[in-house]
Amino acid sequence: MSRPRIAIAGLTACSGCQLTLLNCEEELPEIAEKFELVYFPMGESGSSPVGQLDAAIVEGAVSTPGDLTTLFRLRNASRILVAFGTCALFGGVAAMNNRTSERDALLRQVYGEGARAFESFPPSPFKNFVSVDFAITGCPPEKTDLLALLGALLCGTLPPETCYPVCTECRSRENLCLLLARNELCLGPIIQGGCNARCPATGIPCEGCRGPVREANVAQELELLLERGFDREEIERRMSRFTPEWDYGQRC
Amino acid sequence: MGSVVEINPFTRVEGHGSLKVYLDGARVERVELCLTESPRLFEALLVGRSFAEVPEVICRICSLCSTIHKVTALLALEKAFGIEVSRVTRLTRELICHGGLIQSHSLHLYCLLLPDLLEVRGVAELAREAPELLKAGLAIKRVGNLIQETVGGRLIHPVNITLGGLGQRIGRDSLLLMRDELDAILPSCRETLGLFRSPFAFPLLPAPSYLALEPSEVPYSGSLLRMGDGRGFPVEAYRDFVAEEVVPQSHAKYARVLGQFPTVGSLSRLNLAPPVTADAREIFETVKGEIIAQDMRGNAVAQAIELYQAAERSRAVVDELLQIGRDGAGNVEVVPRSGRGTAACEAPRGLLIHSYAFGAGGVCTEADVITPTSLNQGALSLDLLALARALEGADPTRMVGALERLVRSYDPCISCSVHLVRL
Repeated sequence: MSRPRIAIAGLTACSGCQLTLLNCEEELPEIAEKFELVYFPMGESGSSPVGQLDAAIVEGAVSTPGDLTTLFRLRNASRILVAFGTCALFGGVAAMNNRTSERDALLRQVYGEGARAFESFPPSPFKNFVSVDFAITGCPPEKTDLLALLGALLCGTLPPETCYPVCTECRSRENLCLLLARNELCLGPIIQGGCNARCPATGIPCEGCRGPVREANVAQELELLLERGFDREEIERRMSRFTPEWDYGQRC
Repeated sequence: MGSVVEINPFTRVEGHGSLKVYLDGARVERVELCLTESPRLFEALLVGRSFAEVPEVICRICSLCSTIHKVTALLALEKAFGIEVSRVTRLTRELICHGGLIQSHSLHLYCLLLPDLLEVRGVAELAREAPELLKAGLAIKRVGNLIQETVGGRLIHPVNITLGGLGQRIGRDSLLLMRDELDAILPSCRETLGLFRSPFAFPLLPAPSYLALEPSEVPYSGSLLRMGDGRGFPVEAYRDFVAEEVVPQSHAKYARVLGQFPTVGSLSRLNLAPPVTADAREIFETVKGEIIAQDMRGNAVAQAIELYQAAERSRAVVDELLQIGRDGAGNVEVVPRSGRGTAACEAPRGLLIHSYAFGAGGVCTEADVITPTSLNQGALSLDLLALARALEGADPTRMVGALERLVRSYDPCISCSVHLVRL
């Protein structure tokens, strides 16, 4: 079988998703053998996205004209486009204030008058510009999700999508419920699982880094948190840390 | 006739950057270093948010150094609120910082730099041409990550180290596992140095102005900054000594420290203070000539020594934590108050400063982060210009290759700041 031709690239991000690939220390040599890494600037010199690709696995939010060019180029060249990580999928941390602050004001706050030199726009998810075939969520993503995708690509398919909330795995680990027992602002009920409830397992409430789970009962979570004494503004601020766009009235 | 030699994008580095060398015939007129990462404006995003959100958000600046960003933010907040953490917390934080350094240095040395030495394109060719070497490097990196994941609860952007303490204390079984894994990699950490002893054959570069934290009783952190010429100043007063200079017409921003473009990172740390463990010190003595008063080409050797030292010290910290026994983590209650907190740490790539101000109830009113790569920018630009000039008339491919190697020896981590530097 010919080796699948793949590209791994990053737009505006912390490189954590690409690092997740390099963090697969035990599997990396085999990945290098089984795939043709056509374009992977973080790990390879002299590579360029030429010819047809089987998959482009791309991290980061779209925030500059350059990001957009890269995204369009990879979309056009690739059979499958994978939104890799929370920024690519939902906008991520850099997009947290998209609904509340003007980008120009934020730019001036950090760079002063020099801000005029930058050409950039509010960080946005891929789906605002192109069609996306598959997504791996998480900030950072789980290694196992990436390996499952690579394994499936070798078989010419895609892995199943996770469609249960963080609470499912949290309950099966028999963790103390931080929301009900300790009255902490935990977003577990509305956030996509698959992380094996890492944070609640160490006693830290879910911060929502994996974005909304499919059919999230957002309105119910909101009511529950309000009932427990959190104020609406604080709840919305916490929910928007990784995902600025929520439908607060959504019920499943 | 004018022409331009361009490197775009930089490869085998973190983030987006490019370089243009402007030529007039064979003569190098100037170089333009562009760190083109789009600004993510973290400092502005934090304003108005609760203190509790600061460490969680700010560690997302960078994945390679998320651990040290988190620790530095925690230290700054604890200063602002007058919190003293327990010995267990201090040791656990030290351990995760060692893990972060092991992962970052081994990634840089084995995955990003080694291909240059073996003249291959990257990790994929490395896996074919030098599989055993790559595997040895990845085994070291895996243990660094094992420490980060065990202690931090997550490999990147750790969650288990918290304000005033820990989510959970590290269990005995996990400590024993880390001890065994560390023992297994110590020999290859020691051998790493041998791979990087032949520096690139560049012409001599300008003498660096080293800048690092004066070592203190808390590893990786400190309260006094020291320059290579002996001058120093307290971290809290950094704003008086670190000047961001704007050059007219170019939007260039340089960070000058006491009037100089500083160089930060492993090379600077070892120039200002020798390693602390006896073994690492002994190795250091044998290769001192390649580090002391040397330019950035000595950085790989310095990183290799630090890598070995971090593995040794992790081993010692694990033992210490095992001896303390099963008492609680000794978490301290956090009572926010208004005020300012500034902390500095030695990140794998060099000096990192976080400074925050809080209003009533602990709402963040100001945030300032100075990253190693932004500090190194000025020195990197000067080095690139010197190297390009020394290679005037050389074949463009050779020039590009040499310049790329120089960029990589700085191990840049092109963070959220966008700075355009023209020289």
